[in-house]
Amino acid sequence: MAIVVELPRLSDTMEEGVVANWRIALGDKVKRGQVIAEIETDKATMEFESFDSGYVLLLVAEEGETLPLGAPIAVLGKKGEDPQEALAAFGGGSGGGEAAAPAPAPEAAADAAASAAADAQAVAESAPAAAPSAPASVEAVHVDPKDRRIPASPVARRLAREHDLELAAITGTGPHGRVVKADVEKAIAEGTGKAAAAPAAGEFSGEVDGWGRPYVSRPDDSVRLSMMRKAIARNMTKAKQETPHYYLTMDVDMEKAFAFRADFNEAVPEGTKISFNDLIVKAVARSLRDFPSVNASFDGDKAIIRGDVNVGIAVAVEDGLVVPVVRYADQKSLEAISRESKALGKSARDKHLRPEDMSGGTFTVSNLGMFGIESFAAVINPGEAGILAVGAIESRPVVQGGELVIRKRMKMTISADHRVTDGAVAAKWLTKVRGYLENPLKMLTDGPG
Amino acid sequence: MANLQIREAIRDAMREEMERDERVFLMGEEVGHYQGAYKCSQGLLEQFGAKRVVDTPITETGFSGVGIGAAMVGLRPIIEFMTFNFSAVAFDQILNNASKIHHMTGGQFSVPIVFRGPNAAAHMLGSTHSQAFDGIYAHIPGLKVVSVATPYDAKGLLKSAIRDPNPVIFFESELMYAVRGEVPEEEYLIPIGEADIKRPGEQVTLITWGQSVPTSLEAAKLAEADGLDVEVIDLRTLRPLDEAAVIHSVKKTNRAVIAYHGWPYGGVGAELVDRIQRMAFDWLDAPVERVCYDDIPFSYAENLEHLSIPQPEDIYAACRKVAYR
Repeated sequence: MAIVVELPRLSDTMEEGVVANWRIALGDKVKRGQVIAEIETDKATMEFESFDSGYVLLLVAEEGETLPLGAPIAVLGKKGEDPQEALAAFGGGSGGGEAAAPAPAPEAAADAAASAAADAQAVAESAPAAAPSAPASVEAVHVDPKDRRIPASPVARRLAREHDLELAAITGTGPHGRVVKADVEKAIAEGTGKAAAAPAAGEFSGEVDGWGRPYVSRPDDSVRLSMMRKAIARNMTKAKQETPHYYLTMDVDMEKAFAFRADFNEAVPEGTKISFNDLIVKAVARSLRDFPSVNASFDGDKAIIRGDVNVGIAVAVEDGLVVPVVRYADQKSLEAISRESKALGKSARDKHLRPEDMSGGTFTVSNLGMFGIESFAAVINPGEAGILAVGAIESRPVVQGGELVIRKRMKMTISADHRVTDGAVAAKWLTKVRGYLENPLKMLTDGPG
Repeated sequence: MANLQIREAIRDAMREEMERDERVFLMGEEVGHYQGAYKCSQGLLEQFGAKRVVDTPITETGFSGVGIGAAMVGLRPIIEFMTFNFSAVAFDQILNNASKIHHMTGGQFSVPIVFRGPNAAAHMLGSTHSQAFDGIYAHIPGLKVVSVATPYDAKGLLKSAIRDPNPVIFFESELMYAVRGEVPEEEYLIPIGEADIKRPGEQVTLITWGQSVPTSLEAAKLAEADGLDVEVIDLRTLRPLDEAAVIHSVKKTNRAVIAYHGWPYGGVGAELVDRIQRMAFDWLDAPVERVCYDDIPFSYAENLEHLSIPQPEDIYAACRKVAYR
């Protein structure tokens, strides 16, 4: 019997995915372990290696199609086998994932549990989410990009689709502006009807300025959310609805850190130079070791004190944000943290982060200093006790010993989960972080302190 | 080739089958001594005698039932209705016996019978004598329904109907008995269930049958003068429907008009629309149009009757509409 390949769970929080690219074609021979597709998850585009071998009998999923976890995406088997038979046995029906999804979803969740056993919290969070993913399969994928119903005859629609034309860009001459076959044929002949590159030009509004010139009104545009945006929307809504945030801001003198970084970078070879953010990650990690309640996770009737200190670093990427994780950050040297965060940042921008690069974080650092932001409050990543929002290092006038002096200063704000930690504790923790940053040599000592 | 009227083609079909098979006989009102109300049985009484050309009283239920019984015991009756309007009297025989006996006896009996006669509106016959029974009989499983518009089709299809092991409803038209056409001298049969392209075309599929065939051909000529190329398909058999021919044409032209004698509610026209929208949805460029009777009992008044019957201009207008002209 042929084997049905299911859409795999490639990240902890993945509930649906998109086959971004097929790397195989109908009739190809596939070996176990061979990369057969690139799958876009809520976090990254990942290579998917086949668990099975055989000939490709059927590609069920179309490139770009959004499918729920466990939906059949392809059928492998012996030459000449009937793929529909396997599909029917799989879940009845050859269509996308409608009937197939409910059964395999719990299995997929179980697989994920095995592979991500280290991250008990993440599994607990994602497993129940897998079951309701089935209805998501009815989501219309091939919607008109403008999300507006264009009146068109069926054959006009088909012709436009076959010639890759945009119905919205073709003038309909039928009743009520219906686009008919003749209109599409005309567009094909004249080479028009392609999707407009520029946004809609807009129309004159009813209002005019002092010289009688009309203001321009432009139409709204609806944009389909990427998998990443959907994940951000889901996680941030969950965080703000479920986590009682409180915020503490502290001002740090960065003169010594400034000098330390300059000296350090002069002493080490090219390629291992550190950034201020590396210093901050190191300071945060060492401070977390001393404050278990800030390195914790709320779990109903108990708090889970995390054994490891894994610091996530928020990285802005095109159309979103990802948080790769530096593991065991409290035990790693500045050079190691610097090297890893550089590599993770590059992977993030190239969309090549693996799920394990992004899972298991216990605390997050978000830095908007490079944009000149003085201070801000970040949203806690669900499952963590806090996030440190870091502002710009700026020369500012401060009063020191009764005198007004100019110092390099930086503001940092912790957003903390009030269910597992209280203001006084987080304040002490902030003081600890400030201590490291105001005296960086302390970070180079072995013991905690 | 002989040039015959439809009534002569029908007579020749019956005569040849009666010569070929002694089980075949004709029964109905005025079929014998009067030579047929529309002279479709001219000369048959003289040739075959009163035992095989049977004049009946005005008792449609009775002679339809006799015919069905004769068919059950092995004969091959042809029952002529002076008009299909009178078949309403025999409807129970056709609905509950002819169409169902083969099924209800588990195949022990079959009913190889032909009910034939003129159908639909003619000229000023009033509400009760102007009705088209196409939709009513095509609705019934167990029956085959044929409707002819040329001498060639009439002869070839009637011979097939007589030889068919099932009950066949065979529609003719009072106003078309004198229509002439070429008919081969040698024997031929036209299979039941095959439509015929009466005029090939590229831009609109015009599906029709019976009395609307010549009207549709006229409409196609009007369209041609206008640069619109219409394909005219004569269904010839209404049940079973030659959907392959229809769908093939609609996929080519992307537009369909259905023109026929019959009321608009339900019926063969509606059945066609259903199949076209299901089987050729992605090929349609316009909603399918129907040109048929108005949804009213027929008027006796000539001018009002004329308005109710599909005219070439009406069909041409529908062709323009689906072509967005």
